[in-house]
Amino acid sequence: MIYPQPRFLPCGDLAVSVELADEISLEANARVLALEYLIRQRRVAGITETLPTYRALLVYYEPAEIGFDALTATLRALAAEARPEVLPPARHVELPCCYGGELGFELEAAATKLGLAPDELARLHAGADYHVYFVGFTPGLPYMTGMPERLNIPRLVNPRTKTPAGSVSIGGIQCCIYSVESPGGFWVLGRTPARLYDPAAAEPSLLRAGDTVRFRPIERAEFDAIAAEVAGGRWRPQVTA
Amino acid sequence: MNLLVQDAGPLTTVQDLGRMGQLRVGLPRSGPMDREAFVLANRLVGNDDNSAGLECTLMGPRLEFADARWVAVTGAEAFVALDGEEMPRWESFRVPAGGVLRIGAARTGVRAYLAIAGGITTPPVLGSRATYLRGGLGGLHGRALRKNDTLPLGPAPAGGTARRLRAEMVPTHGDEPRIDTILGPQDDRFIAAGIAALFGGPYEMLPQSDRMGARFKGARIEHTRGHDIISDGIALGAIQVIGDGQPIVLLVDRQTAGGYTKIGAVCSYEIGRVGQLKPGQRLRFRQVTVAAAHAELAARRAVLETAIA
Repeated sequence: MIYPQPRFLPCGDLAVSVELADEISLEANARVLALEYLIRQRRVAGITETLPTYRALLVYYEPAEIGFDALTATLRALAAEARPEVLPPARHVELPCCYGGELGFELEAAATKLGLAPDELARLHAGADYHVYFVGFTPGLPYMTGMPERLNIPRLVNPRTKTPAGSVSIGGIQCCIYSVESPGGFWVLGRTPARLYDPAAAEPSLLRAGDTVRFRPIERAEFDAIAAEVAGGRWRPQVTA
Repeated sequence: MNLLVQDAGPLTTVQDLGRMGQLRVGLPRSGPMDREAFVLANRLVGNDDNSAGLECTLMGPRLEFADARWVAVTGAEAFVALDGEEMPRWESFRVPAGGVLRIGAARTGVRAYLAIAGGITTPPVLGSRATYLRGGLGGLHGRALRKNDTLPLGPAPAGGTARRLRAEMVPTHGDEPRIDTILGPQDDRFIAAGIAALFGGPYEMLPQSDRMGARFKGARIEHTRGHDIISDGIALGAIQVIGDGQPIVLLVDRQTAGGYTKIGAVCSYEIGRVGQLKPGQRLRFRQVTVAAAHAELAARRAVLETAIA
């Protein structure tokens, strides 16, 4: 449910969480991103940084410039205007993905768990559009949904201690791409040669909240070719507005 | 001119006040754990507050200076020596060209700070020189210092004078601090007895604590219904409580978002105290309102302005 009025939840003395809904939905997330967009556009004095997530916006502020009551009054007014229509059009990002084999080392096990053939699982996964709710946990990691209901799968009982960067994986109704090598409890179906996180880039995260992602299935030879281009800094994914 | 690292110590990193505006891509601010001590070190040598210096963990480095510089060491109570001779802390002094500065083991507190006039001038990454170890960026090649590294320094300002912290301002780190804490955002996911436990304390810091988070052991903080939430942003100082009912205070290198309940948050001006706690040392969380915290923050900032004699 989208709340009739936002909830303002203190997060220490320098931040407040503006919670707009109690659900994970495109509508709730669009409102969060719209609120963030309006804050940036209006350059609200005293707001120092914002962090969008599924259904809440974490707002950092400087109390010497804006008190808690003035802040929440401003945010309440902006939240009333924060409809999805205020947002600029979403970007569409196409990411190549090599399914199965040693890169997608849990494709077969996930397919068995779901009662599908591995090829069918890969086809269904690549056939969907994914919405990036937000980026975080580790740098550049997108929180996405968009999978067909048929691919809803419980998370791994025993999480891995290491998952390679670029691993395209699923758990519950979520799809995630590990941005740096990290522990993980999602099923790895494939890997993208795209670099999700590059600290040397002007924009260190490839994806942004609000993006739409589509996976293009590729063979191992193409994966290796693109990976070599990525390593040489010569490859960028296709991004359309 | 530069600084040669003769010996690095176990975890010495370049830090400035941190990286702003990157939370939304998953990068925490980083910067010093004890911001107040860090800022004071810079002020003692006449630097801007944001000049890059070193954060030394438990044991400091041994550094050889190519040119003469004013320096200051603050934070943890550690032995400081210049060419073998003991030097004061919380006070600036001049290192001659070729001088060797050593910062020893922390007796109380954990993190000592070294500021050098002119600052460390490793390349800024996304607007900051702060080292973020897990992301491998900032500081010197995104990592802790190693033996034989060299650190570039900014031009040494002409002149310079000896400055010292007013004696009554020098903090002590060995006691059991009371840490101002604000409830929320998920305090409604805990039973009244759970919240009472949090503020009843004490909680003992566990060894598995670092710049990402400090883990504590104490009275169990009971949930109403499970510890999972719809993942949301994690503010500095957030007190996360998962299934075992024990608090984890999330710090400067924390993950930016997560799916566990956060009962409250330690106030910004208390983070330094948490960063100076040793494993086995205890603290108590003390409940304050947002308004009281803002008043305290303003008061502490005012005191900081008069701290240097």
